[in-house]
Amino acid sequence: MKNLKISLPVFLMAIIMVTGCVKDVQTSNAITTNDLVSSVDNLQSAVNGGYSLFKDHLPFNGQTDDNLMYLRQYFQMSDFASDDIVCAQVTEDPLFLSFTLGHTPTQTNSRYFWFISYKIISGMNTVIEALEKQTNLDPASSQLLGECYFLRAFAHFKLCNFYARPYTQDPNGPGVILRLSVADSIQKPRATVKEVYNAVVADAEKGASLMNQPRGPMYASKEAAWALLSRVFLYEDNEDSTIYYSTKVINSGRFSLMTSDTYPSLFANATTSPETIFCIAFTPTEDYGKFGSIASMIYSDGNSGWGEEFASKSIRDLMGEHPEDVRNQLIVPLEDADRNIVTKNGIETYYITKFSFQGGSPTLSSPIIFRLAEMYLNRAEAYAKKNDVADALADVDEIRKNRGLGDALYNGNVPQGMSLLDVVLQERRIELAFEGQRVFDVYRNKLDMDRSYWGYHLPGLKETDIDLSVQPTGYPNEIVSWQNPKTIYYIPIDEINTNKLCTQNP
Amino acid sequence: MRIKSSGISKLLFLLSVPFWFLCNSTYAQSQTGEVVGTVIDNNGAPVPLASVMAKNNSSGFTTGTTTDSTGHFTFRNLPLGGPYTFTITAVNFLGQDLTGYTIKSGSRISLSASLEPSVVNLKEVVVTGYSQARRSDLTSAITTVSSKELKDVTTDDIGSMLQGKVPGLQVVSGSGAPGIGSEIRLRGVSSVNANLSPLFVVDGIIGGDFDPNDVETISVLKDAAATAIYGSQANGGVIVVTTKHARSNKTRFEFKVSNGLRTPDFGTMQMMNSSQLYEYQKEFYRDYIPGDTGNSYKIDLIKFYNERPLTLLNQNFDWLHTMFKTTPLQNFYFSAAGKTDKADYYIGLTYYHEKGTFENTMFRRINVRANSTYHFSPKVSVTNNINLSASQSKSYNYMDIYYAYLNLPWDNPFDSTGKPIYVDGASTFKWWSRDKINPLNSIEHSDYPSKSLDVNYDLVLNVDVTKWLNLSSSNRLAAATNRGTTFVDKEAAGQYHGTGYLNDQAAFSAGVITTNLAKFKFDLGTKSKLSGLAGQAWQYGWNESLGGQGRGLPPGLRVLDVVSNNILVNGSNDRGYILSYLSQVNYSFEDKYFLTGSYRYDGSSAFPPGKRWGSFPSVSAAWVINKESFLADKTNIDLLRIRGSWGITGTQDIGASRYLGLFDLSYKYNNQTAASPSQLPSPDLTWESKYQTDIGFDLGLFNRINLTVDVYNNKTKNLLLQVPVPLSVGMENQWENVGRITNKGLEIGLNTVNIRKRNFEWSTTFNISFNSNKLSGLPAEIITTGPWEISQIYQNGGDLYEFYMPKWLGVDPQTGAPLWEKLSFDSTGKIIGRDKTSDYASATLETAGSALPTFQGSITSQWRYKGWMLSVNAFFTGGNKVYSNNLRFVMNDGHEPYYNQIAIPVNYNIWSKPGDIATNPSPQNDANSNLTSTRFLFKGDFLNIRNITLSYELPHNVLKSLGMQGITLSASADDVYTFTNFLGQDPQASITPSTSGTPGVSDWKYPNNRQYMFNIDFRF
Repeated sequence: MKNLKISLPVFLMAIIMVTGCVKDVQTSNAITTNDLVSSVDNLQSAVNGGYSLFKDHLPFNGQTDDNLMYLRQYFQMSDFASDDIVCAQVTEDPLFLSFTLGHTPTQTNSRYFWFISYKIISGMNTVIEALEKQTNLDPASSQLLGECYFLRAFAHFKLCNFYARPYTQDPNGPGVILRLSVADSIQKPRATVKEVYNAVVADAEKGASLMNQPRGPMYASKEAAWALLSRVFLYEDNEDSTIYYSTKVINSGRFSLMTSDTYPSLFANATTSPETIFCIAFTPTEDYGKFGSIASMIYSDGNSGWGEEFASKSIRDLMGEHPEDVRNQLIVPLEDADRNIVTKNGIETYYITKFSFQGGSPTLSSPIIFRLAEMYLNRAEAYAKKNDVADALADVDEIRKNRGLGDALYNGNVPQGMSLLDVVLQERRIELAFEGQRVFDVYRNKLDMDRSYWGYHLPGLKETDIDLSVQPTGYPNEIVSWQNPKTIYYIPIDEINTNKLCTQNP
Repeated sequence: MRIKSSGISKLLFLLSVPFWFLCNSTYAQSQTGEVVGTVIDNNGAPVPLASVMAKNNSSGFTTGTTTDSTGHFTFRNLPLGGPYTFTITAVNFLGQDLTGYTIKSGSRISLSASLEPSVVNLKEVVVTGYSQARRSDLTSAITTVSSKELKDVTTDDIGSMLQGKVPGLQVVSGSGAPGIGSEIRLRGVSSVNANLSPLFVVDGIIGGDFDPNDVETISVLKDAAATAIYGSQANGGVIVVTTKHARSNKTRFEFKVSNGLRTPDFGTMQMMNSSQLYEYQKEFYRDYIPGDTGNSYKIDLIKFYNERPLTLLNQNFDWLHTMFKTTPLQNFYFSAAGKTDKADYYIGLTYYHEKGTFENTMFRRINVRANSTYHFSPKVSVTNNINLSASQSKSYNYMDIYYAYLNLPWDNPFDSTGKPIYVDGASTFKWWSRDKINPLNSIEHSDYPSKSLDVNYDLVLNVDVTKWLNLSSSNRLAAATNRGTTFVDKEAAGQYHGTGYLNDQAAFSAGVITTNLAKFKFDLGTKSKLSGLAGQAWQYGWNESLGGQGRGLPPGLRVLDVVSNNILVNGSNDRGYILSYLSQVNYSFEDKYFLTGSYRYDGSSAFPPGKRWGSFPSVSAAWVINKESFLADKTNIDLLRIRGSWGITGTQDIGASRYLGLFDLSYKYNNQTAASPSQLPSPDLTWESKYQTDIGFDLGLFNRINLTVDVYNNKTKNLLLQVPVPLSVGMENQWENVGRITNKGLEIGLNTVNIRKRNFEWSTTFNISFNSNKLSGLPAEIITTGPWEISQIYQNGGDLYEFYMPKWLGVDPQTGAPLWEKLSFDSTGKIIGRDKTSDYASATLETAGSALPTFQGSITSQWRYKGWMLSVNAFFTGGNKVYSNNLRFVMNDGHEPYYNQIAIPVNYNIWSKPGDIATNPSPQNDANSNLTSTRFLFKGDFLNIRNITLSYELPHNVLKSLGMQGITLSASADDVYTFTNFLGQDPQASITPSTSGTPGVSDWKYPNNRQYMFNIDFRF
């Protein structure tokens, strides 16, 4: 016992002496910004991050919500506000506000889109500054740097599309906040639309010059940057530059139009299709199914999605004029056993399959951001605005030839009752339907959006009010003027609350 | 921490019934008789120095003795005759009379008395964490709760047990799902992002696992005097749990069986039945197009009957009461405790099984605790405590509860054989509910099981080196592992139809903590005493998670081995260290004046090098006034004491590496690693510190009344805040030390024995506390907008969790459109105009009250008559706001017509024609009417009848024939009823930010339960 009495206190003291340290703890799945920029591998990962943010569900407001994905918002916030997609189901999901134009500064989908756009930009700024410090970039690093410039340009451009009035309406109006440097002041006002466009053009041109080692259509390339420039200049109504860059892509020889035989499988095979200039790759593990996929809202096999928004009567009527047009195949009616069209809340069910069937999955696709057909149509519109009928219609016919309309070419003749621009825009609407372009094409051309068809964009509509044999009348929201302030979104509340220099949209 | 076994006896009452028996004498006849006896407390521990008076009621003969250290007493020569009355009294215990004994020649009477503690038990030893003190010597605000007080409600969750029992302690049952614990907050919320729960300390060591049945006492440490010694982890207060130990030489057993039923409490969320819904939907057929001319405002009944045939009324399916059922609950507890000179032990075994009221949910847990101490000598001991806990549960899919509320009564989910039918978007038969899904079928084809195993091993060495010096080393090794599975079979409707889905997630965590203390104790002369401790503690914890998921499951199998596609894996780990040096000194003079100081110095790996170390001092003092000479003759005053304390505690619990600028590499693009910016650097990040001041007094009168009052002022500085940054920098927020929160409050606890008769006693316990919460020192207001666009604002002068949303102004009588307030401001920000608008986007966001209650309290009343006891406990809370987010769906003004609706409450009406003054907008003009506004923000005030218990203690003539020491039968009802004006599921909404959304938002939750229990407790 005596021994114990002595040894135990000694033992205790020994414990006190030996235990205890506070070590640095590193997060297991993250690295510091300093470590990132000092490794080529990690810089490549950071560039990949710029693409992955298009498709990932990041935590926002402390929650990871399947609804929240950059591309989901990219398509929904544009096409649901257009005349191509009809709402067949009132929903608590803020995507509903795109139909009704009941936008709020607090709507989560828009806040998330804004957030991720700038996260892409912020990540790219870090890599750009790290690579710009290096001298004699090897071609691979140069390609990476170019991709960064491209992604930064694209993100700024899309922000400006959603949150600022079209360039053609007011180039000197408020655009979005330009973030071109890591050391940027946190408080910053919105640049003008023109300033944003200039920055986008500068980044895209710089990117195009740096990218000389293409990595496939799921990554940016020189041609993707030209395609972006083609679209940016089109939105500026800068015809010559549009024609210049469209032509550069078309003549690059790297892409070809799908034919009427292959077109129907274009969207299910975007990553390998010769028409794809740039798409965001989704792998089978990124098949987000009913709650998180892009297809989920517009298509369902009964289980795969909500299937609550359909091809509108307006676009179906237009496309129905040519049943032989293979583009009709991407609109799929839901029929019951008696081959009657099934209605949902009184609206006819015409599913859209442009975001389905990669690897056979109803909810998987690698959404196309730029494809060759758009280059023809950009150029056609530019020619049309220059009144170059022959060149404009030649480009339109090039599309129609490959869509099963070989017997319905314009052959240089503008049909009766239509303007040349009408012809081009009509083709553009059909070709690029549901690809997130329609709403910008209408308003930048100072046209009104005509949504005089039954759907829940009509305020207070009840199923019982619907009579499919007639057009709805008397509802507000049937025609949306291009001057309507709700054609763009509010700057998200988070920005307004914290960035005192940022002004809100009316 | 070693528990002194004698003297701890603080149960409010015990139905102790003395028993006696006569033995045949073996002595020769004489003129006197012998009476022997034992006095024990309600825990069976001997009561030494109790006075025993014997009085012959006929002759008036009186004599007395006292009990020895083992609680025994003996009267060797009591004169014959009687009847005798034996009166037993002891300090801190209620007296007891044993009457009616007649001493016969040569007889020997054996008596036994079990004393119950008095209301004010000054000698009770209160465990304060690293040390312990007599209640009379306390200088800090501590509330103790005994096991008996805890165990009126039957639950596996210690939080629920504490609900309403400690002034200043808020307990929110955010979910009624089996096995889900409650949220605990002490003295308001004093932090924003850190862990807000009190620190649990089990048997003297930070952290630890325990079963409520094994709890001996709980001490809730409320002010800095008590908590500062826990330094960096004590911002939320400290709850010290002491588990049971042997307290008598006799081996004692206890076996308790509780059985009961639970039913869901849907609150005021009463959904429409078939005919209510039928009537309601007529509103959709009103002829009204806003802005159009020629509206008749009439209901087109012909069209209605055409589209809603009367046959619908034949189908009235009650989803809620089909999917939620009355289910059983069981709790078994067995314990054995005993001791010898060398060793003492306690073994507790608990089995708890709760079947959830919602289909296919349950929780069961088995807990084993073995506490033992071996005394090598009177001065050296080793304690080994082991706690093993294994649980199994089945969770649920949120969407299935969602559909239980929202599916229409017009659908029949069963086929003719009673099996749930399969429904999906391609089903051709009529299914009225909005989403083509039958949740009953989904439940049948899915499963959400989880398992966990927790092991704690404590090793404590204790050496009394000298009379004044004690060294101890308390060490704990803790390990826990759990696994959760989501399984959907291929028959289920929904996205996994035809493939099936399996997701298995496993986590492992382990921790080491060592606390090495030197404690000293001196008597400085006769009047003053000095005691204290100094030591060091070190904590290291790590956790790892690992998971996999995939689709393509063969029928009948559900392991990851057999998934064939869409396979994903995940895994990560985390670590943390805290090193501490601590000390405490207590000085007392004449047992009247007490002074305590403590100091802790902590280093935490949560902060950058250079910012890691923080100091946490405290001082406190108490003056026991009733021991002063000027009150010495006031013997009715048991205790009059004033206390004061000041100290600092801290917070570091925000997770690792919050100070670094980070890129997260857990993303992938095109099968390659992808990194994206995930955190802005905060190189100066350091401790959040809470400066606490507390003044209180304790008053004990007539051995019947005990009043404790505390006021406090707690200022948390350098708040660890995730300050929102403009989203245009690519982040949501950045960690900063900024701003202050001041919590001020008043707490009153009052225990009284209103009537005390020999066989009857009525006592009440009442507590109420008030807390106010103010923010200051923020450079700018902070607005956080959570799910469903519900915002809260932090601004100087405002409260935490303050709602910030458009103000609802009812319905436009002319158009039936919703109205919100639109404010206009002048250039200085002054309000110069208040307008009404039907354009939601132009409505002004306004502050609308906080989710934090300003007052809460409870009252318990107990009546005892002989062996019977009736107890009723109610608790209340209020002053807060709760957002009833569910109304967005179920009072949606026809927005989504195929969701079932809440039965229209009285005082609510729907606009139907111009001129109507209505609460609910026209279904034809309802744009944005159910978006976030004060329309669905209600007062959170409620009063809950928490528990009613009726118990009966069997008399001992019966017990004796059974060979038992005690048998108690009781019936109880928990969460009997809630009185509230809140419209929705339950005003008890989660107050934890982030995890389940915005604090104070009532979203679809697993309803809380009413519970009816029958309990039998055997002690032998």
